[in-house]
Amino acid sequence: MEPLERLLNLVGLLLETEHPLTFEQISETLDAYRAQNTDTAKRMFERDKDILREYGVPLELRDMDAWGGEQGYLIPKDLYYLPEIAFTPEELGSLLVAAQGGGGDTPVEQAAQKLLYGADGGALAGLSGGPLAAGSDARGSLLLETAQAAQDRRHVRFGYRTSQGKVSERGVDAFAVVFRRGHWYLVGHDRERDDIRAFRLSRFIGDLTDVGPGLDPPAKFSAADHVERGPWVPGGEDLASVAFAPDVAWAAADSFRGASTRGPREDGWVVVEIPMADEQEMAGWILGFGADAEVLEPEDLRAGVVARLEAVRG
Amino acid sequence: MAEKRKRTRTVAKTSERLGRMLAIVPYLVQHQGAQMTDVARLFDVPTDQLRRDLNLLFMSGLPPYGPGDLIDVDVDEDGGIWITMADHFARPLRLTRAEALALYLRGTELLSALGRSGAPALASALEKLRDTLGPDMLGDPAAIQGSAAGSPPEQLDALRAAAGDRQRLRIEYFAASTLAWSTRTIEPEEVFSSMGNWYVAAWDVEQDAERLFRADRVRRAEPTGERFSPRGLEGAGRTLYTPSGEDRTVRLRLRPEARWIAEYYATTDRMELDDGSVEATLPAKQLEWVAKLLLRVGPHAEILEPPELVDMVREQARNALANYGR
Repeated sequence: MEPLERLLNLVGLLLETEHPLTFEQISETLDAYRAQNTDTAKRMFERDKDILREYGVPLELRDMDAWGGEQGYLIPKDLYYLPEIAFTPEELGSLLVAAQGGGGDTPVEQAAQKLLYGADGGALAGLSGGPLAAGSDARGSLLLETAQAAQDRRHVRFGYRTSQGKVSERGVDAFAVVFRRGHWYLVGHDRERDDIRAFRLSRFIGDLTDVGPGLDPPAKFSAADHVERGPWVPGGEDLASVAFAPDVAWAAADSFRGASTRGPREDGWVVVEIPMADEQEMAGWILGFGADAEVLEPEDLRAGVVARLEAVRG
Repeated sequence: MAEKRKRTRTVAKTSERLGRMLAIVPYLVQHQGAQMTDVARLFDVPTDQLRRDLNLLFMSGLPPYGPGDLIDVDVDEDGGIWITMADHFARPLRLTRAEALALYLRGTELLSALGRSGAPALASALEKLRDTLGPDMLGDPAAIQGSAAGSPPEQLDALRAAAGDRQRLRIEYFAASTLAWSTRTIEPEEVFSSMGNWYVAAWDVEQDAERLFRADRVRRAEPTGERFSPRGLEGAGRTLYTPSGEDRTVRLRLRPEARWIAEYYATTDRMELDDGSVEATLPAKQLEWVAKLLLRVGPHAEILEPPELVDMVREQARNALANYGR
């Protein structure tokens, strides 16, 4: 007899039973165990329990009666069955499409397979369009562990390589994981630096170590805003006014979030106003346009760009 | 030891098959008459494996295991699957925390890449998932966030539909390298996002070569009416650069301030140096954009190869300074 058949019968039996069943009762009922001698049957049953629990089947050991004498097994229906989630076909379809873009990530695939039972033609229609992958830089267990640490407010330690190439060990109270433009970040309180920092998961070295309970984030703290405000974002309070050659103006305005076009100059160059958080960073972006860009304002930014160009020209 | 490994493998395989059956049976109960081939495709299992697993179901059921207590599976002549006596498996097993979390993270990624307005159904699906599964499974909603993109590219749906349907497209495309619009005929295979931008990996019919197109730079996309057979082009997770025989090799030494170049672009042969610098090779079809890139980092990058790039960067600087009357 195939183990799968035995396991399916075991799940069915323990789901439908009204009272907990002892191993003896189970082995009397199921042929697969009855056909073996007691020791073999017992070993088989132990192994089957492990498989079921590994797969997430809530196999529980309960007192047979109020006096707590003997104990027996059952699978509580309310813990076994997936709760009813009232998805519309579009909602379920969109989740299935998201899961499909996973590229063979087992927990995601298993989750999607479980949700499929409620899918009608409408939900399945979306899948025919093929996958739509969000292109994430973090996968598998590190992302899961970090997300779980943030949910559980844990204090964690990990090796980290900064964008400048410096490697060190960090101790962080995990507040949240945030996805931004292809990267997952852990946002939390860095204990050594006593400051809130964002860490890119792709720069972690080795595994995450759980140290113990962590601190709560400050009131009204938004992790997504913290990442959005990072120094690499050309967005902020100050405005830079930049003229672009007509050919590139379209692409330029498109690559700066929050940029607004102010119309053409006399020579045809297009003036674009761009919100700016970090002048050095903004100067870098503009230098990438070479001779196709000219900073008009503010004066500091203009002077900064000129100085950097002169340093290169020699 | 070998014995133990073998056992672990058998256990893994059995557990995998069990998991699949506990998901497939509810699907079959809810979708009476579902086609064998459709089910096999949905659950990503070979048809003959599915048939073997379904045969096993005949043998399982509930006590006292008489003929009327066993699950009955009937496959009709059109390949439709009908199942009875499986009510105890009419609904799937709950999600484990890892499954719920992994799905929620994946949905958050896609929602972030599409923007809330671009995927309202996904946004409400994630809310329902969170509300139904509760804090035990998905914890504090603020602990997992996606930074919302603006709105998805206008032609994204058209590109994806064509990729799924294997339809040849005629597109109008703005190429950053030439800074001009052009009309191309493409065979779109994979639609994916990377570093915040959406791309389509496609075969360019006129060029007879693989090309990567930024979806937001596609102005129009119309099916030509022809179908194509996919070549298996790479999608998500690929490098955003398609190497070719015409590539120039650029070798750079990047100081800490310029290290991001090695990380952001598809560089190879990276070598860490003691002072925090990194040496890396950057493939490029033409040197002009590399010269502009190097303007950004100035003295923080040293050009090791090719020597003419040094002059090109200086020339770029001279041209740019002319804008400022210098």
